Amino acid sequence: MSPIFPVLAIPAALGAIIMAWLFQRRRLSPALGAAAGGAAGVVGALIFMLPLNFCTFEAERDTIDRVFGAALIGIGMALTLWLVQWGAGWWQARRAPPVDVGFQFQQPGVFRGRLLPLVFLAPTLIILALFLYYPSLDTFRLSTLLVRLGARRTAFVCVDNFTSLVADPGYYSSLLTTIGISLAIVVLGLALALLIALAAYQPVAGARIYRTLLIWPYAISPAVAGVIFLLLFNPAGGIINHLLNGIGIPNIPWLNNPTFAPWAVIIASVWKSMGFNILFYIAGLQNVPKDLQESAAIDGANAVQRFRHIVFPLLSPITFFLIITNMTYAFFETFGTIDYLTRGGPLESTTTLMYRIYQVGIQNNDLGKAAAQSIVLFIMVIGLTILQFRSTGRRVTYGA
Amino acid sequence: MRKSLLLAVALLVTLLAMVPALAQDATEVKMWIAFTDNRLDWAKQKAAIFNEKFPQYNVVVEGYNNYEELFAATALAAEQNSLPAIVQYFEVATQDARDSGYFKPIAEALGDRTEVNGIPVNLEDIIAPVSAYYTLDGQWTSMPWNTSSAIMFSNMNILNAAGVDSPPATWAEVEAACEAIMAMDNAPEYCFTWPNHGWFFEQWLAQQNGLFANNDNGRADRATEVVFNSPAGVAILQWLDDMKSKGYLYYSGAQGGASWATVDQSFQGQQTAMAVYSSSDTAIYTNTGRENGYEVLASFMPYNQDAEGGWTGNLIGGASLWLVNGLAPEVEDGALTWLLWLTNTENAAEWHQVTGYIAIRQSSVDLLNTEGWYDALVANGASQVWLDNPAVQASQGKVWYAENPNFIVASDQLAQSTVTPATSGALLGSFPAIRNVVTQAIDTVLLTDEDPATVLDNAAAEANKILEEYNLLNAPQ
Repeated sequence: MSPIFPVLAIPAALGAIIMAWLFQRRRLSPALGAAAGGAAGVVGALIFMLPLNFCTFEAERDTIDRVFGAALIGIGMALTLWLVQWGAGWWQARRAPPVDVGFQFQQPGVFRGRLLPLVFLAPTLIILALFLYYPSLDTFRLSTLLVRLGARRTAFVCVDNFTSLVADPGYYSSLLTTIGISLAIVVLGLALALLIALAAYQPVAGARIYRTLLIWPYAISPAVAGVIFLLLFNPAGGIINHLLNGIGIPNIPWLNNPTFAPWAVIIASVWKSMGFNILFYIAGLQNVPKDLQESAAIDGANAVQRFRHIVFPLLSPITFFLIITNMTYAFFETFGTIDYLTRGGPLESTTTLMYRIYQVGIQNNDLGKAAAQSIVLFIMVIGLTILQFRSTGRRVTYGA
Repeated sequence: MRKSLLLAVALLVTLLAMVPALAQDATEVKMWIAFTDNRLDWAKQKAAIFNEKFPQYNVVVEGYNNYEELFAATALAAEQNSLPAIVQYFEVATQDARDSGYFKPIAEALGDRTEVNGIPVNLEDIIAPVSAYYTLDGQWTSMPWNTSSAIMFSNMNILNAAGVDSPPATWAEVEAACEAIMAMDNAPEYCFTWPNHGWFFEQWLAQQNGLFANNDNGRADRATEVVFNSPAGVAILQWLDDMKSKGYLYYSGAQGGASWATVDQSFQGQQTAMAVYSSSDTAIYTNTGRENGYEVLASFMPYNQDAEGGWTGNLIGGASLWLVNGLAPEVEDGALTWLLWLTNTENAAEWHQVTGYIAIRQSSVDLLNTEGWYDALVANGASQVWLDNPAVQASQGKVWYAENPNFIVASDQLAQSTVTPATSGALLGSFPAIRNVVTQAIDTVLLTDEDPATVLDNAAAEANKILEEYNLLNAPQ
């Protein structure tokens, strides 16, 4: 029997039940809710199943494919049901008598027509559509295919590119590597930056010059930084080992030992983002009110206590903002450093998710699998971006 | 004032518009190559000389950062019908190039012509291992250009100090030399190194007459399985592992391009006595030694003395130039003329001298074995890159190979190789990806306690999956 019927019937029934209940709570007709919910459930299921041609539920598919298919239907349904729910709310609000706000001012700087703003927006929209939205959507198509540049044909593989990740121990280790390296970069990077910012903020002669110089590493391209650190870290003939030998530490195989290589990447990345972090911390320190510190000093608080109880809490919005930006940096922008320093090795100990996509898609020319992995990463970006928007929009406040 | 400025701009625009019109007289022949360094300069200088000699053509050379980028650009250009006339593909992409349908075999384009625009075809002159690699289905497919082989560089100051008179030839001899070197009071940090790149594994495998893939290395029929997890393959990993556990081997890591750089640094910093490397850098390795007061001697890549039949031979590496399919006849003729001229006796010799890639023609080797090579190359039209080369200027008027013996090693190694399916090199789809799998396997063996045979079996299984997917998309149905 074709799998299509149950695949559509179950979401329809679920959607109908959920919407009937929600409509009842809104004091609307449950029957109407059931009808709308049933339709939304079917549409939600079709969002992913139509392009996939219901392949996840074919008889020869594994359980994991079915679970994945069900999850996709769930996501689709959540989207459509939320739309129906939102529509119902909007409709109710419109029916309610309008609140009288007295007379309305003609607002300055508002377009009268609908067309003119669109004309002004068109260049941006066209560029975004061509170079961002279309490729993003195409990534979803590619993720269901076996596809190579220059190959004679492509093959449809359903959701194999996703489900094969679940059984791939290498992918999990990449995920752990990414999280480990990112956390280390954020913690080390921020701690050091704060320390240096505190030192650079002291009123010493030439403070401005120090501050300017401290920001320089940020202006160096990741590739150049990678080459510099490659020469520094080289286990045979590198400068860092030479210096360590000088103080009695034996040679450390920085680049070809899976324990040390991630640290080489972390150190290079921390150095690279240091200028950015210091810049923000110095800006933050300038906004810490002096009178608070003075009164604390008069009350007998020493320098450590003043930092611990006054400066650090007041810097917390900046710290939070920096955690998010550094996390994004560690996730997505360490690529250049890794590419020059370790190429993801040794033993994949520096293969982050981003680097893995490059290996699969560019080096191995396996575009379908790379597309699937970039969608997984894309979902993570969305998570981080939402956090970042919230932190910049609400939580970062300077002074009172 | 304003008016004259406008007039000047208008004049400039008109002039600029006329430039293509002027150039239209000459047939444009575009070539894309994967170089951006002095090798691109060399090719561009050669194109300028060619365009002077053949005013009916205008050869334009464009450089890309690396082979992968060029490969992607070619596939995209093919979709938009904007392919150039000639594209450079590296040797492991040969099967991909062949399957793509973008290209026309050189032999087919030549037909039964023995010369094009007065330039003799004379492909018999190209040395056997090179012609074996690029002869597919019995016909010349692409034009070899930058061809190298894996050789060993030895720091003779260190070797002599340890009482080793000449570079070791076999794995056992390398180990014995290392024992002597590392026992010295002023021993270097390490004894032996090589960049962990799949190509060297392929070389060591071919030396033992071991196949990389089934169906005679993919030459009798399309390769459907890899077979590198043979005893010969395991022996390579075992030897490297032994060398590392004894503290002789400096492991460069599996960082692709960076692993070459770390080998450079450790050998040129005299931290390592011997390095197996590509002959493409013969000039740099030799000169660095000369400038820093140590003698660098190139020798054949050491081989497994226990292999049945000893040393069979080495294979080539590098890239070749592919002729695009469906060009207009005059463009195709222009492309053929350029390809034949670029790889003629004098130009092959010049290319060899400025890079260290082997001289692919026997006649180039013969020419460089005479004292008159300098004048012959100048008469042919020499590039500035070549004229600026200190070794070229220093050897002027003398026999090149007598002055620069390291340069002949790779050619000799290839010339002495027995051509078998193993030493012809493997042809298989997705070879770059499979190469990465092998590199990872070596990484695993050297950095963990896992058994080489098991690791190589796992690598073969992974490679087979990649190959199966490739064939699914490319094999004729």
